[in-house]
Amino acid sequence: MRKIDKNVADAYFRARTMLVVICLIIGGLASFGVVAFAERLSQFTIMGMPAHYYMGAQGAVVTFVVLLFANAIISDRIDKKFGIDEEHNTRVSAGKVLDH
Amino acid sequence: MDQQTIVSLLLILATFGLYIGISVYNRAKATSDFYVASRGVPPVWNGMAIGGDWMSAASFIGMAGTVMILGYDGLAYIMGWTGGYLFLTFLLAPQLRKYGRYTVPEFIGDRFDSNAARLIAAIATIIISFTYIIGQLSGSGVVIGRILSIDAMYGTMIGVVVIAIYATLGGMKGITWTQVAQYMILIVAYIIPIVFMSLQITSNPLPWLTYGKIVSELGELDRALGVSEYFAPFAESDKSQFIALMFTLMVGTAALPHVIVRFYTVTTMKAARWSGAWALVFIALLYLSAPAYAAFSRFILMTRVAGQPLDQLPAWTENWVNTGRLQLADANGDGILQWSEIVISNDIVVMATPEIANLGVFVIGLVAAGAMAAALSTAGGLLITISSSFAHDIYYRLMKPDASDQKRLAAGRWAIVIATVVAGAVALNPPGVITQIVAWAFALAGGTFFPVLLLGVWWKRANKQGAIAGMLVGLSVTLTYIFLANNGITLFGIQDTGAGLIGVPINFVVTYLVSKMTVAPSQKLQDEVVDLRYPEQMSYKDGEVWMDDAAGK
Repeated sequence: MRKIDKNVADAYFRARTMLVVICLIIGGLASFGVVAFAERLSQFTIMGMPAHYYMGAQGAVVTFVVLLFANAIISDRIDKKFGIDEEHNTRVSAGKVLDH
Repeated sequence: MDQQTIVSLLLILATFGLYIGISVYNRAKATSDFYVASRGVPPVWNGMAIGGDWMSAASFIGMAGTVMILGYDGLAYIMGWTGGYLFLTFLLAPQLRKYGRYTVPEFIGDRFDSNAARLIAAIATIIISFTYIIGQLSGSGVVIGRILSIDAMYGTMIGVVVIAIYATLGGMKGITWTQVAQYMILIVAYIIPIVFMSLQITSNPLPWLTYGKIVSELGELDRALGVSEYFAPFAESDKSQFIALMFTLMVGTAALPHVIVRFYTVTTMKAARWSGAWALVFIALLYLSAPAYAAFSRFILMTRVAGQPLDQLPAWTENWVNTGRLQLADANGDGILQWSEIVISNDIVVMATPEIANLGVFVIGLVAAGAMAAALSTAGGLLITISSSFAHDIYYRLMKPDASDQKRLAAGRWAIVIATVVAGAVALNPPGVITQIVAWAFALAGGTFFPVLLLGVWWKRANKQGAIAGMLVGLSVTLTYIFLANNGITLFGIQDTGAGLIGVPINFVVTYLVSKMTVAPSQKLQDEVVDLRYPEQMSYKDGEVWMDDAAGK
């Protein structure tokens, strides 16, 4: 066990939290944002459909998938930057489980 | 029995054989350390199992029909049910995985160090899963009713027996791999008919690219008939209801106990993030297809069925009229079936369309098998959640901590049998269409658990008094609102299916205020919460963060 500087630990938490907040804002715009302005968006056309319909049927879902993968990939990078080793995580977590 | 019945039954029996085979095979291999083995499910496979567990009869049978009937307003289901994975994967799953418990009530009981909270959470879990399972049983009734050409009510009775046998046979073991197989069958069964319909209507085998044109043609057909356009926003409900429904489905997805449990089967927080991402890919395959399914079905009904003389309707109509879910009445007595004279239930669109489009007995049978896979995989997950809430959280952790394994197993079995029978009785006369019943389950899950889980994971000051008050108030407000709205009393135009938008904020406020007004949780609990901010290798102790990079490398 090695003590980590408080600044480093906070920086890790801040980086991960920022990522989550940004992803949630983009996801919110693609869903709630589009619904809020559905009437005005309906005059545009994407793939043969009115834009608000396209976003509900395909656009929002594709955005969510991209965000989840972006989060997984970027989080892995952040972990790497802070020297986290996944194999070690697996070992630690196996011991910390509450088994009945 | 006609040829269609025989082919459908054979396909369903063949897939049942596959599921039972898989659970027997896995049982034989992993008897000794079932839990350890299941903690190591790789993220891609776990994502597929989450897809099977999560996509229910409502997704498979009900959703395309809902979109077909509601048009744009039905898309709230698509966005809500996929968007929930953002909340789940970003805000809850990795943290809950690090906490390392088995069930949601167990997390709540231990995090807030309160057996009262544990009991409330366990009872709420049972109520939510029970509501959800009514939708599954009612869905299997529609499928079986059609295959045997009997009323959906008798189909439900048969479905209850089949699901009860399946759940006790499949049991606790091997469920992951059975759900993987069920996912594969249901997705193939869903995509094949729309590929054929796309070929038939547009001569292009990729429905996701072609149905945009059909959607705009539907708009023209609607304008010609003088009804509101298919894609017109908020034609069937208010904007407030659309947003409320979408919000309810998102928070419900993130807080459904039987879905959260699947994230406990991976190794680490990182694996939980990746499983969430893979799960949504597999789920999106079906959810991107449902609006195409809806558009093709409506197009075929409007152009090939409407306008036909009533006495020349094809044979398929009679079978569906027999199930009680399709009505074709010649209201104006001119002998011609008009579009406005077709009353089709949301719940039969997916199963009826392949017949309407004349896709052949094999495809129609495959869709029936896929629908049963969707109902069974979710019913299996739900029954296990009900059983573990009772046997693990109430019986073992509260009533008899010294109970033997055998007694706990017996308690779990009884919980499954009783839940199936009672839910089956309610499903005989379902209180709503499948997607609506399922939306209630989501409203209850979100209203009861979402704020308490979120604050429990991210706010160390949240304490047991806050959690208990929040869950009780959230659950009762949501339940009350569903009853009131179902009887026509609504706020801001929000219907029963959007009740989460009422319950969730109230739960947040109550949990926050009561926590603030009562004494802070112990330092140990607060440290455990801060610890969830960091990956497994880092841990938080005595106000410091420690890195475990010692031996083993």
